[in-house]
Amino acid sequence: MLFICRMTLRELRAVWRRLLFFFLCVAIGVGAIAALRSVIQNVRSAIAREARTLTAGDLVLQSNQPLEAGLRDRVVRVLDAADVRGRAESIETATMVRPADPAKAMARMVELEGVDAAYPLYGTVTLAEGHRYTHRLVHGWGALVRPELLVQLGVSVGERIVIGRGTFEIRGLLLSEPGRRLGGFSFGPRVLIDRADLLEIDLLRFGSRARYVTRLRVPDASLARLETQLRDLLRPALVSVRSYRSTEDRIGDRLETSENYLSLVGFVMVVLGGVGVWSVTRVFVRQKLKSVAVLKCLGAASGQILAVYITQVALLAVIGSACGLAMAAIAVPFVPPSAVPDLESIRLGLTWSAALQAGGVGVLTSLLFALVPLLEVRRVKPLLLLRDEAARLSLAVQRPRPMGAGLASPGIARRLANRLQRIDTTQAVVASLVIAALVGLAAWQAGSLRVGAAVSLGFVGVTLTLSAAASLLVRLVQPLASSTWFPLRHAVLAVSRPGNQTRVILLAVGLGTFFILGVRLVEANLLRELAIELQSDAPDMFLIDVQEDQVSPVEAFARKWRLDGGIQLMPVLRARVVGIRGRRLNAGSPEEVRERGGPSREYTVTYRDHLASNERVVAGELWPAQQGSIPDVSIEQNLREDGLELGDLIRFDIAGRVIAARVTSVREVDWSDARNGGFMFVFRPGALAGAPHWYLGVLRAPAHTLARARFQRDLVAAFPNVSAVDVREVLRTLQAIVSNITLAISVVGGLALASGLLILIGAVAMTKFQRLYEAAILKTVGASGRTVATMLAIEYVTLGALAATVGASGACLLSWFVTEQVFDLSWQLLPGLVAGTIVVVAFGVGAVGVAASVDVLRRRPLGVLRAE
Amino acid sequence: MIELRAVSKTVMSGGDPLVILHPLDLIVPAGQTIAIVGPSGSGKSTLLGLMAGLDEPTTGDIIVDGTEITAMSEDAVARLRGEKIGFVFQFFHLMPSLTALENVMVPIELRGGRDAAERGRALLGEVGLTGRAHHYPSQLSGGEQQRVALARALANDPPILLADEPTGNLDTENGRHVIDLLFAVHDRRDTTLVLVTHDVELAERADVRLHLRDGRIARREEAGRSVAVTG
Ligand SMILES: Nc1ncnc2c1ncn2[C@@H]1O[C@H](COP(=O)(O)OP(=O)(O)O)[C@@H](O)[C@H]1O
Ligand SMILES: [Mg+2]
Repeated sequence: MLFICRMTLRELRAVWRRLLFFFLCVAIGVGAIAALRSVIQNVRSAIAREARTLTAGDLVLQSNQPLEAGLRDRVVRVLDAADVRGRAESIETATMVRPADPAKAMARMVELEGVDAAYPLYGTVTLAEGHRYTHRLVHGWGALVRPELLVQLGVSVGERIVIGRGTFEIRGLLLSEPGRRLGGFSFGPRVLIDRADLLEIDLLRFGSRARYVTRLRVPDASLARLETQLRDLLRPALVSVRSYRSTEDRIGDRLETSENYLSLVGFVMVVLGGVGVWSVTRVFVRQKLKSVAVLKCLGAASGQILAVYITQVALLAVIGSACGLAMAAIAVPFVPPSAVPDLESIRLGLTWSAALQAGGVGVLTSLLFALVPLLEVRRVKPLLLLRDEAARLSLAVQRPRPMGAGLASPGIARRLANRLQRIDTTQAVVASLVIAALVGLAAWQAGSLRVGAAVSLGFVGVTLTLSAAASLLVRLVQPLASSTWFPLRHAVLAVSRPGNQTRVILLAVGLGTFFILGVRLVEANLLRELAIELQSDAPDMFLIDVQEDQVSPVEAFARKWRLDGGIQLMPVLRARVVGIRGRRLNAGSPEEVRERGGPSREYTVTYRDHLASNERVVAGELWPAQQGSIPDVSIEQNLREDGLELGDLIRFDIAGRVIAARVTSVREVDWSDARNGGFMFVFRPGALAGAPHWYLGVLRAPAHTLARARFQRDLVAAFPNVSAVDVREVLRTLQAIVSNITLAISVVGGLALASGLLILIGAVAMTKFQRLYEAAILKTVGASGRTVATMLAIEYVTLGALAATVGASGACLLSWFVTEQVFDLSWQLLPGLVAGTIVVVAFGVGAVGVAASVDVLRRRPLGVLRAE
Repeated sequence: MIELRAVSKTVMSGGDPLVILHPLDLIVPAGQTIAIVGPSGSGKSTLLGLMAGLDEPTTGDIIVDGTEITAMSEDAVARLRGEKIGFVFQFFHLMPSLTALENVMVPIELRGGRDAAERGRALLGEVGLTGRAHHYPSQLSGGEQQRVALARALANDPPILLADEPTGNLDTENGRHVIDLLFAVHDRRDTTLVLVTHDVELAERADVRLHLRDGRIARREEAGRSVAVTG
């Protein structure tokens, strides 16, 4: 043991500089895993602490309509029988707000919440300037608003605002309140008023998008029972019942998934580092053959020597991982607050479990990758010393080449047989175990065997492709070997000679390019898709909740404003799929629809007898001449991905009424042209006659800011229940969310780039030690430094170009898969980025290769030869 | 002709300067054979390396065939070496990744020779290795490797041949073979030959014997005449 430790330290003294690169890669990967996991775990524990505040109750009932009287009585009976200690009711809806002062021509969409005296059951409402919240602040036509609304409307505390048909006095500024949603999308800033007032301002007309929420305070002991009871009772009425625990679980599950996926990215970086460790170990072992032989001469057993080197790798891996953890510990507290959910109790810092997991992955991966090449140590014979040729062993597998035939294949069968003969069984067994262990590690990191296997498979695929590419390259450049230009001829020989570094460089550089460019391409594609731009003539405002009797007044209003392209008003209804009898999908209840991946959200549907200008029928007929006994419905083709097909029978719940319809056509909607809206379901007129509906208005509002504000304000003044969704505002909100996502993607991409660069430098620098000897000999027989440099440059640039090309092809595939299959966005090849990367990598490899050998070129050969 | 003027070599060893070669003067006229003998560590290899420009002297000038190599750039020295000096190492130092023939061809190719393969094969024939042209160094015995190294050293028909213990790693028979080749080449082409050797018999065949001890020329023997050298 003492021997092992001493030898390890002695050897490390000599080599650590060379190995540094690879352990830096490991460090970056480990750091990434630790940081990402920590941040998400920080969020999770904050959510666990604040779960009740987030839901603002132990149990939350929520529906889009007020409960029917009968059901309501039954719920009340259940609640009375149960141990309910508190009960708060509120209504949330998106609506318009304008200043009461007619001189202020402004109107804004807000998320209005009407609360009762019991609010809040949990948590506290934080007001500006340390004011304390009591229900008196909202009672009797008072409102609490977010500070940004004051700015938007140009009003101040104490002034009056109009919501619906009511006028409210602003009595305070809302900083945070329990029950708000985390992140995600909102139609506007929150406004808090009294629930009683909300019911009187004529907002909740038919079809209005509102949420009726009942929050309950229930002791933990009776929570689960009450939850099941209420769920059974309320399920048919489409009322959701959630406890703070199930909410926490749901958020937790989502976070865990993202934690695992992000960590997988970190893991891939560690594996890249591992590939580096593998290749450097290989070279290292070859350089150490003489020392190993000496040690064996002196009586060291193979096992002991192996232990020396494994200890070295382990030590370096531990140091590398520790560096990574240190980097993460420093970086995590500096994560910008905008990048994490707005939670009061969130404390950013490295967590133990994340650190352990990341460190474990780092050390295990390094060891696994180092193991196979290290096993070669066992084959070293002390006899080697008597011949004084370190090269002999590593090249022992060479065979004479047939005259002039280059690498012409001597028959695949024979080559295969040769290859099989050469395989060391122990090494093969260990290699298989190592691969299995890596798949296991990947699966552990992804939290899923399937994903872990897929990632490993991707790696294996790229590796095999790169190996094949290496063989292909060797054959392709073979004719150049007869070139009379010395540097080219020798560069070709160097690339194609057996036992060289071609494969190692290809692998490291190729994998690095594959991963980095893959991330960059995904990033670029996402950003391109997310850079939503309004077409110059596209409608930019939607009116919702226009009632039947308001259709002509709204049209008249639009005429008065002389809008570009006028206004389209479409009848719409809200529908939910409650059953499907189809070719691919069968579901008897809303739950089954959801469980089987059917279309389970609430849809806005319409009816008309014609196709809109942005639509095209891709299957079936709109509408069939022969009308059957069952109403016809046309679906958008994207619904096919949810399992719907032409001919399926779908049951809809439309405002409490169940209507069955048959799919008689499939449409394709051009979503970029929203003039006519886009509907997933379009019914044949007649089927929905009698069903209550409202109208959706699509228009292009005045572009000028002032005119636009006045338009909105006049509209709201004339039609208090109508909401105007300003697409420009929505886009602005979306862009803010997107830029947060972009930041995250860029950070991950940057980390990948850094580790790829390190691998590149490391892989190239490492081959220098092999080149040293040859360069010295070449110089002895008369080669100038420039000749050797040219030779090296040609060799490395060729290798770099090939590796980059193969890696880039893989990256295109990967990014296509991720963009189209995972994110469901359209993928585009970015030829500039791809070609640029290939050129940069090729010349980067060339430059690094030559630069790393500069001292070899300058040094006098005797010293090098003496050392050999 | 090789001329050394007040050439010395000092290296830094563990922070202290270590004199490997004390200043010495030496003239090797063209066509002469000279054997450098002396105990291990006396500086023989260093001296030979300096003559070939494989290393730089700490002081003094080295003139090879009228050209002062100490004043030349490294690349220029390398070019000169390719043209005028053949070097044979004790440990052969063939390029492990090139075949025997390719090893021999390298110096010819470096000078832009068109008939590299042909000449290479002829040289291999000259050293008796016609059949091994496509073998890698690892597939050749020590004697064979040294003969390849010799063929490589002769590739450009250099006027000067330097050999550092060319038989040091060979058995008697193979050693003799290599030596016979060396002297045959000398006789045929009238090359200047500088040999480092322990082999008394080999040293006897040279015109001049230089005895090196602790980095100084201790004695110089010339065709039976022995001269003690001081300083
Ligand atoms: N670069 C160097 N650093 C330190 N010592 C050296 C170096 N090169 C040679 N020496 C020492 O110089 C002495 C002469 O070496 P060398 O010329 O190889 O001797 P020889 O060939 O006669 O056996 C030896 O003691 C050797 O250890
Ligand atoms: Mg020597």
